[in-house]
Amino acid sequence: MAPNEALKAQIIREFEAERRVTLLRLRLQQALVLVGFSALIAACFHVSGFFGGSQGSDPWGRIANLLDIMIPDLKAGVIFEDRATKGSLASWFYDMPTWLSLLWETVQIAIVATLFGIFGGFWASLLASKNLSPSPIIHWLTRRTLEVIRTLPDLIVALILVAAFGVGPLPGVIAIALGTMASLGKLYSEANEAADMRPVEAVRAVGGSWWAQVRFGVLPQVLPHYASYGLLRLEINVGAAAALGVVGAGGIGIELSRAITYTEFDTYFALLILIIGLIILIDLVSEAVRHRLIGLESPA
Amino acid sequence: MTRVASLTVPPLIAAQEMEAARQIAPHLIDTPFAVQLRRFVLWVGLSALFIALCIGVDMTPAAFARGLTKLADFMRGMFPPNAAGGEVRILQALAATFAMAVTGTFLGVLGALPLGLLGAKTFVANPVLHFLIRRSFDVFRAIPALVWALILIVAFGLGPFGGVIALALTDIPRLGKLYAEAIENSDPRPQEGIRATGGQRRAAIRFGLLPEVLPVMASQSLYMLESNFRNAAILGIVGAGGIGFELEERIRIFAFDQVAWIVIAYVLCVMALDYVSEKIRSKLVHG
Amino acid sequence: MLELKSVTKRFGQTKAVQDVSLQIPAGSMVGIIGRSGAGKSTLLRLINRLCDNHEGTISWHGQPVSELRGKALSQWRATCGMVFQQFNLSPRLDVLTNVLIGSLARQRGVAPMLKLFPAEERARAILELHALGMSHTALQRCSTLSGGQQQRVAIARTLMQLPEIILADEPIASLDPANAQTVMETLSTINRERNITVLVNLHALDIARRFCPRIIGMADGQIVFDGTPDDLNASVVDAIYGRHVIEGSGPQAEAQNLLEAVA
Repeated sequence: MAPNEALKAQIIREFEAERRVTLLRLRLQQALVLVGFSALIAACFHVSGFFGGSQGSDPWGRIANLLDIMIPDLKAGVIFEDRATKGSLASWFYDMPTWLSLLWETVQIAIVATLFGIFGGFWASLLASKNLSPSPIIHWLTRRTLEVIRTLPDLIVALILVAAFGVGPLPGVIAIALGTMASLGKLYSEANEAADMRPVEAVRAVGGSWWAQVRFGVLPQVLPHYASYGLLRLEINVGAAAALGVVGAGGIGIELSRAITYTEFDTYFALLILIIGLIILIDLVSEAVRHRLIGLESPA
Repeated sequence: MTRVASLTVPPLIAAQEMEAARQIAPHLIDTPFAVQLRRFVLWVGLSALFIALCIGVDMTPAAFARGLTKLADFMRGMFPPNAAGGEVRILQALAATFAMAVTGTFLGVLGALPLGLLGAKTFVANPVLHFLIRRSFDVFRAIPALVWALILIVAFGLGPFGGVIALALTDIPRLGKLYAEAIENSDPRPQEGIRATGGQRRAAIRFGLLPEVLPVMASQSLYMLESNFRNAAILGIVGAGGIGFELEERIRIFAFDQVAWIVIAYVLCVMALDYVSEKIRSKLVHG
Repeated sequence: MLELKSVTKRFGQTKAVQDVSLQIPAGSMVGIIGRSGAGKSTLLRLINRLCDNHEGTISWHGQPVSELRGKALSQWRATCGMVFQQFNLSPRLDVLTNVLIGSLARQRGVAPMLKLFPAEERARAILELHALGMSHTALQRCSTLSGGQQQRVAIARTLMQLPEIILADEPIASLDPANAQTVMETLSTINRERNITVLVNLHALDIARRFCPRIIGMADGQIVFDGTPDDLNASVVDAIYGRHVIEGSGPQAEAQNLLEAVA
């Protein structure tokens, strides 16, 4: 009995000792990660001048001040008066026709860029999918090219293109189309790779060309995915197109930039409301179309 | 190969067989005029719309030709890439951009945590509140960082501070939505188990929910950091400093060899960050 | 005459088809039986050139087909139609278009890419569908059809190729008995009335005995039997399906049934 008890106590002691060591090691690891992480965050806060630095002594006061100058002085009595009356809605949104036409230009940029992006992304995806690519080298090259394009922000590309094409919507379209092509090319190639290869094999077995295999074997399967990814991308592109004008690439961004230059902060606020409204609108339309697409799917 | 080649000319279908097929399915042999007309109108209409849109954005062959010629000049100017003695400055700017991205993401995470919780159906039972929060995520998600930065930099002065706030403002709705979805999609059973043993709601969240969603949320936050590194680069254009400022300066003076150097350095940094972040993320999610 | 001379196909280390030599006169109907993994599918795919053989030659009417490239290859593929176990139709395309796919090897230009096929081809597709009792489904999506209907559409697609040979790879393995019967009868009729050579891979011995005047047995990539249904005796079935599987249950019981079918 007694030696048995002693053995039991021994085992428990050993277990406890090992548990302590393991716990200590774990705690130490966690502490190291935490210290490292905190140091990184602190360094980053410091480098970006978050405490002290350029924002002046009173950041909250400046935010309050900013909000104050952004909110227009609307007067309840004259709110529906014409543009000339100070304090009316019309005087706040004083250049509505121009803004509406610029918003329309923004939508046009987004739509045309998305269409070209879908077109380019489709072709890129054929080369970038493992199961359809004509050769492994082309597959690899296309993938890497798309990756590099995806790392470049559209505004940087737009900046260079504005220098080449001049101020106007065209550089904006090209910049967004490139980005769209790169990201859709990746998404589409994933859809292609997930496609059922049996119909493709059947087209190959009847003597169909590579084109026929893609057209009749792959496309019917992936087209609904293509459409819904494309629509999601259109929503993103409307936002992107709204910003592009800041670098001179067309659309409502030009007015944003102008409002800042002339310190018309209430105008900036008005434009922000318009942009948000546009985004909501596009969101609703795209959602309706997507549901329709899915609705067309379900009976099948 | 005579036998194989003979197949190129298939035996023509005889007139009487055509008639037989017509008997079976007339509408599939001779397309009705109305269908043909509808198809024609649809194609012409869509093409006209597309061309009108293209003209609306100045997409004309002449404009293209002009721009591409200049672009080719720029491209030639890019080789060989050359930092013109500004290597240290450029690397410092890259570090500043990275710092801006980290700080912005960190603040965004702090802001998105409570909002994400409030936006989760499983956490907030009130459907009106849930709907309002989620809908506003959807709307504000689409506003690019640049639009925020433009006004914030005026408010806070030139420098990274306004840029950081702009990044945080961009992240909050995006992360909020992702967090809310992560919470909604988490497995409810661990929480139920803790409630069943008599644990409080607080305990259920700490030991049931958090272990489930924290790795997912951490992974999403890292993903946001990747995206913010790209966003932070463009904020330099409107005065937040960093690599975007360096780049814009050199584009304005057409120093494309330096532009190429910066772009290459930047792309390598982005790829390195993406690589590291992807490694950590797959470790977080798959243990 | 379809002729295979010492055909061998390897996948890595394993030999899927080993030194197979065969002569199949034009217009015959041949059943190929064997366990799964015996190399039956690979053999058919080698003939259609969906995959390439490592050694040996395959020829049709004295013309070798192993070396064909480009246009000549697609014409050869059109000459020998494939019928698959899983039908391999495009599920989201309508029946008529799926059948018209069979005519792709003789189409030119971009028109077929826009689903614009000549009226003659459409007429032929409808006649083929009608002959198989499927013309009323011409505008339905293939995914809405039952398995038996899909296999008939797939056969119509093969007939659109104007084939001289039909290679059917387990055409009834995914079908219920009634539909299996219909499909086998269809293949048999096609063989008799149109004088098209039919090679059909089968899992079930009784079906092969009923429909195929000539049966080839394969095991481990080699031909272990070649003769009429009457030549099939218990020891031959042993050689094809393997003696060691007979005791016990599961696949073994299946082999037992096969033996009883012979007896």
